[in-house]
Amino acid sequence: MGRRRAPLVRALIAGTLLVMAAVPSASAPAPERLRVLTTLPDLWSITRAIVGDLGEVQVATRPGQNPHDLEIRPSQILLVKRAEILVRNGLDEDAWIDPVIESSGNPRLLRGSASVIEAVRGLAVLKIRTGAVDRSLGDVHPSGNPHFTLDPGTAPVVTANIVAGLSRLRPDLAEQLESNRQRFLDDLAAAARRWNETLAPYRGAPVVSYHDSWPYFYRAFGLDELGIIEDRPGVPPSPQHLASLIRQMRERRVKVVLVESWYATDTPAAVARAAGARVLVVPQSPGATKGTDTYIGHLDTLVTMLARALSE
Amino acid sequence: MHRHGYRLFVMLWLLVSSVGLATPGHAQDADALRRELETLRRQFSSVTQAYEERLKALSVRVEQLEASRVTALPATAPSAAAASSAAAAPVATTTAIAAPPVAPAAPPARPGSPAPPAPVAVAAVASAAPASESPSVGEMLTPRQPFALSTPGRVLLFDIGVSGDFVADLTSAKAERLQLGTFPGQENRFFPREVTLSLFGRVDPYASAVVRISAGEETSTNQPSSRDLNVNLDEANVTLLTLPLGTTARFGLMRPRFGTLNTVHQDDLPQVDRPDVLTQFFGPEELDGESGLEAFWVLPLPNYNELSLGVFNGDNEVAFGRGSLRDPLVMGRWRTFFELDDLGGLQLDFSAASGVTSDNLRNTVVGLGAKYKWMGSGSGLPIFTLAGEAIAGFRHLTAAEAGANGDRHVDRWGGYLYGQYDFDRRWATGLRGDWTQLPTASGHEWAISPYLQFKPSEFLRFRVQYKHTEGTGSVERSVNEVLLQGSFILGAHPTERF
Repeated sequence: MGRRRAPLVRALIAGTLLVMAAVPSASAPAPERLRVLTTLPDLWSITRAIVGDLGEVQVATRPGQNPHDLEIRPSQILLVKRAEILVRNGLDEDAWIDPVIESSGNPRLLRGSASVIEAVRGLAVLKIRTGAVDRSLGDVHPSGNPHFTLDPGTAPVVTANIVAGLSRLRPDLAEQLESNRQRFLDDLAAAARRWNETLAPYRGAPVVSYHDSWPYFYRAFGLDELGIIEDRPGVPPSPQHLASLIRQMRERRVKVVLVESWYATDTPAAVARAAGARVLVVPQSPGATKGTDTYIGHLDTLVTMLARALSE
Repeated sequence: MHRHGYRLFVMLWLLVSSVGLATPGHAQDADALRRELETLRRQFSSVTQAYEERLKALSVRVEQLEASRVTALPATAPSAAAASSAAAAPVATTTAIAAPPVAPAAPPARPGSPAPPAPVAVAAVASAAPASESPSVGEMLTPRQPFALSTPGRVLLFDIGVSGDFVADLTSAKAERLQLGTFPGQENRFFPREVTLSLFGRVDPYASAVVRISAGEETSTNQPSSRDLNVNLDEANVTLLTLPLGTTARFGLMRPRFGTLNTVHQDDLPQVDRPDVLTQFFGPEELDGESGLEAFWVLPLPNYNELSLGVFNGDNEVAFGRGSLRDPLVMGRWRTFFELDDLGGLQLDFSAASGVTSDNLRNTVVGLGAKYKWMGSGSGLPIFTLAGEAIAGFRHLTAAEAGANGDRHVDRWGGYLYGQYDFDRRWATGLRGDWTQLPTASGHEWAISPYLQFKPSEFLRFRVQYKHTEGTGSVERSVNEVLLQGSFILGAHPTERF
């Protein structure tokens, strides 16, 4: 009887050992990786540079997607559900994430929570509307222009906010995060010197854009914002406005009309043609086109494309 | 001689003075001054220290208050670490729109000469332990301090929006006389279908709330000339956001989670009218205005799966009119979503509702819905949407409803399918087909509705829709209608959903 049981006992012992080998030891749990969600691709590229291999950074919008016309998709709810930290712009551009969070059952990411990082904190915001603000002005951002990451000079403050927020929740990673941040800023400083040299010949050059996305970029590189085709955000421009803009563009010999890749080019092309300028379709956010996945790669592309267009 | 005497006097005075300055008595005065200076320094140092301690105590107090209220403030301070960095500078130097950029409070570095990166104080960070986001039962039961930071009347703590939806139903004189149109009693009229005042926002760190009050023209089917502008409380519910196990729940008066289109508000419908199957099975007011409790979960699975379960009075006059929790209306929905990347997104939902009619008879309705949407890359345009829903009802009938064959149980169903193509941000066109049996009576009807939509902006929309309806049995009719719609949104409006 005992002999009959022996093979069974041996098989049970072998099976147990096999399972024990396969299952990770509970006594030495692997350190938990950061699970970060960013609302927009620019914050995704910056946060990814800071987090590095310490965790996973995801973005709630597709690169190249216009955040102004966003609709809530259930897949975004799932991303919010899984994240432990949210990095958001902090102005109106990603206010759509609030109902997503409320639907997700993840209260850690509710606005005002310690797990929510607002990148704008500490920055001087441009174009804050003063006086009466209503929809006659179009789909305006009452809190000011949210496209601050297009000025690389804002990176020290933005990255400090992100590192501070991440470190608050994971103090054990603070040193590594700060080290990653310093490396990112060093690389950015080197790239910024290169960008400055590239655009130095065009300082003061007048530029027109379709949407009001570029004031920080203009400020960073000394370009002159002559006008915006879409004078009221989200509303097609009036013929009077276009006529006035074209007249100014001719007078100032504007060479370039910047258009984000998610906008139709019909109207900008007509304006550019009438004013003797050319349309330059550019990726407004990292990842929208090939080779622009990183923050530096994205600005590299923007500066190179603009310099080439201005030189023609 | 006199002049020499004067010079001698001056020299002697200077000599005496200079000697006198070097005397021990003056040395003692200098020491006293030094001591006084040292005392002042010590006093200054102690005052500074006292102020630092006071500032530290206040900071700790602020952190404690913030930790206890978790999410009361609209914005999160970067952290104790960032407080010592440039990031802690006040946000947003207000700049007039035409004014040149104002130097920031904490000037960011210029390209090429970046400012030294703001150091992050690791020690300070380590001391700032994260507050627990989900309050414990003890915390929930502990009385909290009132929100003294808000200033009622000066700070708007919630969003306000008004939506207006105006419809015209143009049809034949016969259809008007017999009230055969999509909006019975309002044929060949331009009328305010629904003007809604919406108030929504956060109640506190743990809950949000929404209140919707609507007014619309209603016509008595018995007296077509009698038209009233009725004001109703459509929704008033609170959503609890910080419940355990990832649960979200709401209670109050609400539009319950059933099906695909039933959850959509009037002003967000894809066509002018609701699909016939929804109107037939739930009445012109749809499955709306139910009072009760509803909980929902996003399941921890690789794909999106949402489960909801609700218990309501059952106040729908057509489908569940019992209106008592002794025989509650119980409703559940499962919804899943597949992100197909470049190929778009697909949503599927399955719903079931079971309750008791006003005649105290059991009625169960199930729904199966699907919605597919493809968006062009880059601009997100054009957009192609294909969606449909099938509804089936299993209902016990009264003897009067049973009719000649005496069958007291009926299984009926119906559905719709529509496709829409958005050319650009302004123009879209679509086609919807309806087919439905009647939930209690015999007969069925079908309809076909092409439509065109124009949106000058995100907040203003016009539609024109042609609808041809053919009904048999107890809905014998053949009606041609042109439906015109103008709708607007004033103020805040929740973000559009998939």
